[in-house]
Amino acid sequence: MKALLLLFAASLIMAQPDLHGVYQSIPDRTTLPGGLKNAGSPAAISLLPEAAQQARSIDLKKDPWKMCQPVGPFRMMAKENTKIELVQVRGMIVLLFEDLSHGMSRTIYLKRGHPAKLELTWFGDSVGKWEGETLVVDTAGFNDQTWLNEEGAQHSDALHLVERIRPVLGGQYLEHKMTAEDPKTLARPYSYTRYYKKLDTEVLDDPCQDDQ
Amino acid sequence: MRNTFFGALAVLLVAGTGSGLGQAQITNADWTGYYTLANRNDLAGTGFKQDAPGEELNRLIIPHLQPWAKARMEATDGVADDTGQVCLPDGIFRYPNMAGRFTWLPERERIVVVFADINTAGVRRIFLNRPHPKNPIPSWNGDSIGRWEGDTLLVDTNGFNDKSWLFGGMEPHTEEAHMLERIRRVANGKLMEINITVEDQHALTSAYTYNRYYKKQPDNAEMPEEVCNEDPAIWKHWRDDALKKQLDRSRIVK
Repeated sequence: MKALLLLFAASLIMAQPDLHGVYQSIPDRTTLPGGLKNAGSPAAISLLPEAAQQARSIDLKKDPWKMCQPVGPFRMMAKENTKIELVQVRGMIVLLFEDLSHGMSRTIYLKRGHPAKLELTWFGDSVGKWEGETLVVDTAGFNDQTWLNEEGAQHSDALHLVERIRPVLGGQYLEHKMTAEDPKTLARPYSYTRYYKKLDTEVLDDPCQDDQ
Repeated sequence: MRNTFFGALAVLLVAGTGSGLGQAQITNADWTGYYTLANRNDLAGTGFKQDAPGEELNRLIIPHLQPWAKARMEATDGVADDTGQVCLPDGIFRYPNMAGRFTWLPERERIVVVFADINTAGVRRIFLNRPHPKNPIPSWNGDSIGRWEGDTLLVDTNGFNDKSWLFGGMEPHTEEAHMLERIRRVANGKLMEINITVEDQHALTSAYTYNRYYKKQPDNAEMPEEVCNEDPAIWKHWRDDALKKQLDRSRIVK
């Protein structure tokens, strides 16, 4: 009985992988062993008619990306060659972006749920839990400052993201599946997948200096 | 005397973080949490106090400036030349001494310090498992290595670029700037004490030293989100105005 309990405890520990390290999203044209490749794009979301009309009237020069503003997790995690660093400490996982101006940092809290009353912020409130070796991140409480894509698609404060992150190919890559839902602007939930390659490198300063 | 102490500390740090320090020897203290610059109330009754708090830090630094550095400081436009005003990095000599809000994230071989105003102060990474690179790429926050000496973390930072100021008084430094920190927790873990020494043989006549205390917030406290350029119109105005002034001005070359 004691051995079984120990085995169960060990399996729980092993089921939560150590994700810390530096990763970079692979180009869309790359196919990894097993046929793994990026799929979907923020550009392919389906907007409700009113939201689509709003997007058409948006001045694309005011894209937060061009203003060195945060672009929010939905766009940032989908970008090619996005370099992230995962820091895993007691009770939380912190995502740091080399492109600090656009990505900044995200903190995923592992020991609490969302507050009953969410303060609306650029990055929302992220809470995570482990399902086996997959980290499931639930983010809500966004303000309306970020866009869903570079075509000017807006979202509402009802935007809700669910990310499923797990190591694949022996831990050499992270698989990141993002699902967005926003009943006020999206016609239906939308998902994309990105693969991030683990790098043996350190993250450097990369401030946003000009319109990019 | 100070230089002797400084040199000895630097030797200890470099020696201690060399290849002879195996991974198994690293024992990182779990100081995980959110810290804020301690104010007078936080320090009341503790017996600790901030050296040269607030703007007084300028008065501590300026007497150490070499003549060219002082001339450059006086010729600097505190608005147009301030990268922090346009939400660009402004280094780690300033924000931690004024606003000083950060999350301390200790991993096994490294400590990551994330500042609340991440646009300007960025992120510090203190490596416990390697020496400085031979040719570090100059950066805003430099290259930090550390080692534990009892309950004190000794941090050695070099590899700075020469774009930031030593504080808000526009005091310049060069890529030779070198910072040593002795970090420990005091007052039963309620405060983090950082004793800071800065030297720069090309910009300072001698090193200067001061301390800062940071209050450990409750375990369930979370660092709030801070976005520097929340209003792009204001940011664009600041940036364009600052860039124009920079182009218009003749610069003092050291």
